[in-house]
Amino acid sequence: MKGIVFVKFNEFVEELWGEEFWDELLDEAELTSEGAYTTVGSYDDQELFSLITLIVEKKSISSKDAQFAFGKWVFKELYNAAPPGVHDFKDVFEFLHAVQDFIHIEVKKLNPDALLPEFEFLSESATQLSFHYQSPRKLCYFCEGLVRGLAEHTEQKVIVTQSECEHEGDKRCVLEVEKI
Amino acid sequence: MNLNNDEYAKRIAVLERKVAREKKARNLAENQLEKYSLEIYETNQSLQKSLAFSKRKQAELAYLGQASIEVASEQSLNELMAQTVSLTGKFADAACGFYLVTDRSEFVDKENVQVWQGDNSWRSDIDFVMQTSQVLPLNQKEPFESWLVSPVDDVTFECKNDYKWITYTNFSLLNNRVAWIVFFSSAEYIDEETLYVLETSRTHLLSGIRKRLTDVKILKRTVQLQDTVSSLEQAKRQLVQSEKMASLGQLAAGVAHEINNPIAFIHSNMQVLQDYLNDYKELDTQIRKYLATDQIFDQAAYDSLCESIEFSYIQEDSELLLNTNLEGLDRVKEIVENLKSFSHAGDQKFSEISLYECVEAALKIAWNSLKYDHQVENNLDVADSIVLGNLGQLQQVFVNLFINSAHAMEGGGQLSISQTLLPDSIIVHVTDCGSGMDQDTVNKLFTPFFTTKPVGVGTGLGLSISYAILEAHSATIEVDSILGKGTTFNITFPLI
Repeated sequence: MKGIVFVKFNEFVEELWGEEFWDELLDEAELTSEGAYTTVGSYDDQELFSLITLIVEKKSISSKDAQFAFGKWVFKELYNAAPPGVHDFKDVFEFLHAVQDFIHIEVKKLNPDALLPEFEFLSESATQLSFHYQSPRKLCYFCEGLVRGLAEHTEQKVIVTQSECEHEGDKRCVLEVEKI
Repeated sequence: MNLNNDEYAKRIAVLERKVAREKKARNLAENQLEKYSLEIYETNQSLQKSLAFSKRKQAELAYLGQASIEVASEQSLNELMAQTVSLTGKFADAACGFYLVTDRSEFVDKENVQVWQGDNSWRSDIDFVMQTSQVLPLNQKEPFESWLVSPVDDVTFECKNDYKWITYTNFSLLNNRVAWIVFFSSAEYIDEETLYVLETSRTHLLSGIRKRLTDVKILKRTVQLQDTVSSLEQAKRQLVQSEKMASLGQLAAGVAHEINNPIAFIHSNMQVLQDYLNDYKELDTQIRKYLATDQIFDQAAYDSLCESIEFSYIQEDSELLLNTNLEGLDRVKEIVENLKSFSHAGDQKFSEISLYECVEAALKIAWNSLKYDHQVENNLDVADSIVLGNLGQLQQVFVNLFINSAHAMEGGGQLSISQTLLPDSIIVHVTDCGSGMDQDTVNKLFTPFFTTKPVGVGTGLGLSISYAILEAHSATIEVDSILGKGTTFNITFPLI
């Protein structure tokens, strides 16, 4: 996973629970990287999952909530770091299409080895969009959070749910976004 | 913030670890950046190499492409060699170069050898060419199979220029001649890659030279063929004329008879007229006698004189004889005129002619063969049978057909000439009710020297020449023949 996710996760945890908590997490997690993350590097996915698992234990919150919260928080961070051209989209649905058709292509140009999720759009109306989230990382809750973060950015009110979820025993994850 | 010492110590420890992590992260990032820089540098290097390589390939392709265009062009061998020298010299970055032709190791046309220069100009420099070409193995009989390169140091000529390499090859031309292409280079070394490319273009050039040499051969052969064709044409014209004369020879007896008949009766008539003239003179003498002796010369006396010489009969008969003679002479005149138009070699000029008149004229010539035992019907239309043609030639064709028909109808019969008018052509049917021919004879009918007539009667050329004449008139001839029943020749002429 790209270093920016770890760096932003570090910022997120420190912002929410302080430097001591992050220090404590790293101390217990015994990671290969020792938590010395930089945006120019790539790190083992498992490090993020270990850190999340520790937070879930220590703060008694669900993994879903942890991922969702990080996703919602990190959207604006990633958005600011995105290449030019991404900032023209003013609508959640429009932006989600752009992620698949434009943004991920740009990301691939800069990071040919990046592993990116695929969005398969299943149905769409003026107020409702449903898409199939496909990623071996299975970070569907994180994705839900990102969509919420996006809606905050576009100043639209949306409800994000999953009609199907691999974590709930379904064969795939289908995200439903409804404008209200 | 009120913190006790332990808490301070803990806080400091957290921050120290954070600083350590940041430092480590920074080192990692810097290493990564250095790695990236190196990668970029290496990528850049390889891109530059690729670019240089591509440029090189592009130049090679441009050179080979242009060389192919020159080879495929219509330009002469000389122009092609000159183009090749300048193109190749430029591509190989040569200092100068030239091409020359040798004939058994002797220079051909050496005064005109031009030297190509690096700035793409040409200059005359016989001294240079003579001096430098000494190093070429001009005695070599077999042409080389590639370019040869040798250092100029080995060469024993005085040269003001600092040429380091001489690159040359040769091609064999026609008649033991050999073409040489020579380049001089001031470069320190000759690029192997360039030599490969030169080799490719050399193969191209070789095929171009061969093609041009073949073209020259073909051109020579074409000229020979044209000569042969025109002498054949000449021979054909002579053949047509001599066949005409031959058939005229065969016709001569008949034609002589045709002329002799009127001449015979004209002759005897003239003798009678001569007698009548004597009678006139006698009458005149008698009248003068009367007048001299003062005898009464009255009506009765004149009548008696006239009675004695049958004067009224003489008058009547003279008129008849004169008219007959004039008619006879007209016949002779007509026959002679037709013979003239027939035997006249003439030019090949076509004019508007009436097939009716042509057939009539032919019938008059062949008349002696037909008049005794045959009935002849010329049903052609005077006005509707106008075609573009040569009267004498077509007359020859019809005379031929009529004589053949007469031969086919030995015991007599009917010869009829009729026509079928189509929108853009006219078919003339020449029909006899003679012996007819079997298919084998029909097949050979237009073959030269084929004849069914006894030796000395036919040349066997008549119909083959007729065929050639009709072909020249864009006319076609077809034969319908039934053995024992007769033959019809159908000749189709295009209408004007």
